[in-house]
Amino acid sequence: MSAEQIDQLYNFCQERYLWQFFSRSWDRQENLDGIFAVAAALFAGEEVKRDTPMEKLFYADAKIMVADFQERFPWIAACKPEEIRSLLSGVKDRLTEIAITKSLNGELTHSLY
Amino acid sequence: MPMVLLNCDKDIPEREKHIYLKVDGEDTRDFLPISNAPTIPGTLSERGCAFCGAKLVIGGVLKDTIQMVHGPIGCAYDTWHTKRYPSDNGHFQMKYVWSTDMKESHIVFGGDKRLEKAIHEAFDEMPHIKRMIVYTTCPTALIGDDVKAVVKRVMEARPDTDIFTCECPGFAGVSQSKGHHVLNIGWVNEKVGTVEPEVTSPYTINFIGDYNIQGDTQLLQQYWDKLGIQVIAHFTGNANYDDLRAMHRAQLNVVNCARSAGYIANELKKRYGIPRLDIDSWGFNYMAEGIRKVCAFFGIEEKGEALIAEEYAKWKPQLDWYKERLKGTKMAIWTGGPRLWHWTKSVEDDLGVQVVAMSSKFGHQEDFEKVIARGQSGTYYVDDGNELEFFEIIDLVKPDVIFTGPRVGELVKKLHIPYVNGHAYHNGPYMGFEGFVNLARDMYNAVHNPLLKLAATDIRGETTTRFLEAAE
Amino acid sequence: MGCEVISKERVGVINPMYDCQPAGAQYAGIGVKDCIPLVHGGQGCTMFVRLLFAQHFKENFDIASTSLHEDSAVFGGHQRIIDGVLTLARRYPELRVIPLITTCSTEIIGDDIEGNIGKANAALKKEFPGRKIHVVPVHTPSFKASQVGGYAECMQAIIKTICDHKVAPTGKLNVFPGWVNPGDVVLLKHYFKEMGVDATIFMDTEDFDSPMLPDKSIHTHGRTTVEDIKHASGAVASLALAKYEGGSSADYLKSEFEVPSHIVSTPYGIANTDAMLRKVSEITGKPIPDSLVKERGIALDALQDLAHMFFADKKVALFGHPDLVIGLAEFCLEVEMKPVLMLLGDDNSRYKKDPRILALKDKCNWDMEVVCNADLWELEKRALDKDYGIDLIMGHSKGRYVAIDANIPMVRVGFPTFDRAGLYRHPTMGYRGAMLLGETIANTLFTHMEYTKDREWLLNTW
Repeated sequence: MSAEQIDQLYNFCQERYLWQFFSRSWDRQENLDGIFAVAAALFAGEEVKRDTPMEKLFYADAKIMVADFQERFPWIAACKPEEIRSLLSGVKDRLTEIAITKSLNGELTHSLY
Repeated sequence: MPMVLLNCDKDIPEREKHIYLKVDGEDTRDFLPISNAPTIPGTLSERGCAFCGAKLVIGGVLKDTIQMVHGPIGCAYDTWHTKRYPSDNGHFQMKYVWSTDMKESHIVFGGDKRLEKAIHEAFDEMPHIKRMIVYTTCPTALIGDDVKAVVKRVMEARPDTDIFTCECPGFAGVSQSKGHHVLNIGWVNEKVGTVEPEVTSPYTINFIGDYNIQGDTQLLQQYWDKLGIQVIAHFTGNANYDDLRAMHRAQLNVVNCARSAGYIANELKKRYGIPRLDIDSWGFNYMAEGIRKVCAFFGIEEKGEALIAEEYAKWKPQLDWYKERLKGTKMAIWTGGPRLWHWTKSVEDDLGVQVVAMSSKFGHQEDFEKVIARGQSGTYYVDDGNELEFFEIIDLVKPDVIFTGPRVGELVKKLHIPYVNGHAYHNGPYMGFEGFVNLARDMYNAVHNPLLKLAATDIRGETTTRFLEAAE
Repeated sequence: MGCEVISKERVGVINPMYDCQPAGAQYAGIGVKDCIPLVHGGQGCTMFVRLLFAQHFKENFDIASTSLHEDSAVFGGHQRIIDGVLTLARRYPELRVIPLITTCSTEIIGDDIEGNIGKANAALKKEFPGRKIHVVPVHTPSFKASQVGGYAECMQAIIKTICDHKVAPTGKLNVFPGWVNPGDVVLLKHYFKEMGVDATIFMDTEDFDSPMLPDKSIHTHGRTTVEDIKHASGAVASLALAKYEGGSSADYLKSEFEVPSHIVSTPYGIANTDAMLRKVSEITGKPIPDSLVKERGIALDALQDLAHMFFADKKVALFGHPDLVIGLAEFCLEVEMKPVLMLLGDDNSRYKKDPRILALKDKCNWDMEVVCNADLWELEKRALDKDYGIDLIMGHSKGRYVAIDANIPMVRVGFPTFDRAGLYRHPTMGYRGAMLLGETIANTLFTHMEYTKDREWLLNTW
């Protein structure tokens, strides 16, 4: 696992997924937390809960992301479980930074929609 | 120096904060254009007003609803015959507009009584119509007519009617975006939850932010039908007023236009716990992804894959024919906002087209985060672009085709650049698989229009080259 | 039997026939060369009107907005006027005229237009000492009159502001054609050339039909110059062809500079064109040349083939600008059609006393209605009424669905005509306009006969 691999996945996420760009920082955080948790479980072959509406949503987004990663970045198949965990956490950290903590979007913290 | 001060803007240097040239190695942590900010007077901005954002874009799409514009005649006149959103009931919403036709005496003495009379008249003239939206305008907001009180009185007098009041004077906000917001929030506050839908499927969604431009909604409806998914409400393409009152009963909100309708999706999530799923409905790759996500949500993945396979088999060969011929085409997108980020990557991936410049009339910074993340380096990203900026950017990036409105289309025609209607389409729909083939076809026919070559020819010279070309 | 002149009874409007005053003002403004109108109001007031012009002419026109936002609505838009004027002056070095057009909002807020223009002028003088930019106050609150009145108001305001003194006699004729198409302007210029009359058209919109050129230059703009406007005070006379769209400017030049004013019936149809040419001849002393007698004859020759065979007794509904509708009604009578419904789309109280309408009333020996302050719902209700029996609708494109749904043939005429190609290029005025209109009517009726299989065999041998 390398910084370059994180870069590849991060760049792909940036140009691909709308869930990182929801209207407010808490929505973005909720999506990142939910989707990356499910993605980690999916990579690990764990059972994913799909009972509540939000669980179903994160499952849907994560499932597509995992499939995209596997299809477009074949090297991921060779990664060990702990490598995938840190890969995902690296990508999530970088997305969190660009979409939330270092975002220049002045509307992210408005209390109302 | 990625924020750009164009030569034409030397006298309005604040424009530098609105124009970004993407450079390798930078991202939106470093630079993000200012947007949704006041317009500089006299710049020949492309922006409209809050009233049109509410009435023309969203409310006016409803196919069973009287659109009562409370104000002088122009606001009604101007937001009529300016959209291409058909419906399956004979296009009622495109045929009619209503106005209280305010005159000076009503400005002086108040327009409440006139409004009340006009509402009753409208229902009397078309007795089969029972739903209405009343919009305020600049003058009626300024004089402070109590529109809601009038509406309440009428609804008491006519219990079989329902009326929504949208307070959206043109001066509110800085563009049509404010009108989207007012209508979204007002609707969820006052109307959602007041009708219970008939639920016919275990899978229910609202499809939000799609206005049935040239039949987009109706095309996507074929997909939902095949998947067995019931759309409780289309917000607002081909929709009935009461559909939108039942939005609280959907299990999932699928959002296409997050700019004009993200607000209601957010509120439905907050108030009713309905998750929001944003998708791109333009482009093969994107549409397939959207269908996959919706189906994964409901656990009906096989149905989704079958639909995608069927659609790909039907349309992909045609798309590829155009891709072969459009590869390397340079495209500019000058539209409202969201289509910048919906389109920049889909035309690149699906058609091999390079988007070299984009301008948004009413996008917010969220839209610029999306489009800069998706768009290319060397591309200009402009907020609230004006006419002289367009000329200068055309010189810089030399687009082969521009997706924009008809007026700007007429302007760039003189520069021998073809336009495709980026708002109302040339020959749509453009959403979905079939729709993207339509977009590709319109772009191909625009770029390969033989008249462009003729226009560039000066018949006063160089006849030999002309003959050679003819012999080719 | 007879003609009734009534007003719409409803207070509200369903499907308006006209846009508001500022829209009309913008149309007059773009007729001036090196001019960008600046509309003081919300952005929609400009954006949609530019779109409307683009729909009709398939051209772009430059019109600016002061982009009134909420703070200005509360505290006044003074600074936005000054900023707007200076921004335009700085970024458009050729600019010489800025009609400052008010709207409902800025009239209600009560921005001091004249005072702010004074301040803007001082700022312009300081920054551009060698350059004169005429900032013209145009008061067009949307809650008064309509696009018709707004056009007249802006025309008069431009003349008032720029034509500020009596110049030496120019020997020229001021011509106010009203809100017409480039095709009409070209036709009028042709007539004046044939007669050897030196005329200035206010506004000269010939280039609203502009070319795609090899050098990519753009020529879509008005041709009436500041000098043309200044010299209006030295003209031999003013000839207004539209009472409601330019007549007031002719009257102003008469009262202010003693330029004789002649307001004639709008030259739609043969007789009205005859009267206009006679008037021009009378004013200038120039005879009507053989060439125009020939053009007249060609038009008559064409119409003669159509009138008593195809047109006679056809019931026609007319809507649009007042001078156009009245002129079209007069034309209908010339070709034996019966105007049964005339719709005038605003509350101007002068229509009911218009001598041309009174004359129609006198001639009328069939049922006819003139509806003032009308909307297109008035047309729709009558169009769907089989007893009313409308055979043909003539008007602008905003009425298209009435014709489509009632299955009545419709001829597009007036403004806007965005659902037919190229109409702005052709005249409706004059002999040629009458001929083209008659032929368009005929071809529209013929197509309808074929489409509905209504005696389509009639044309087997025509």
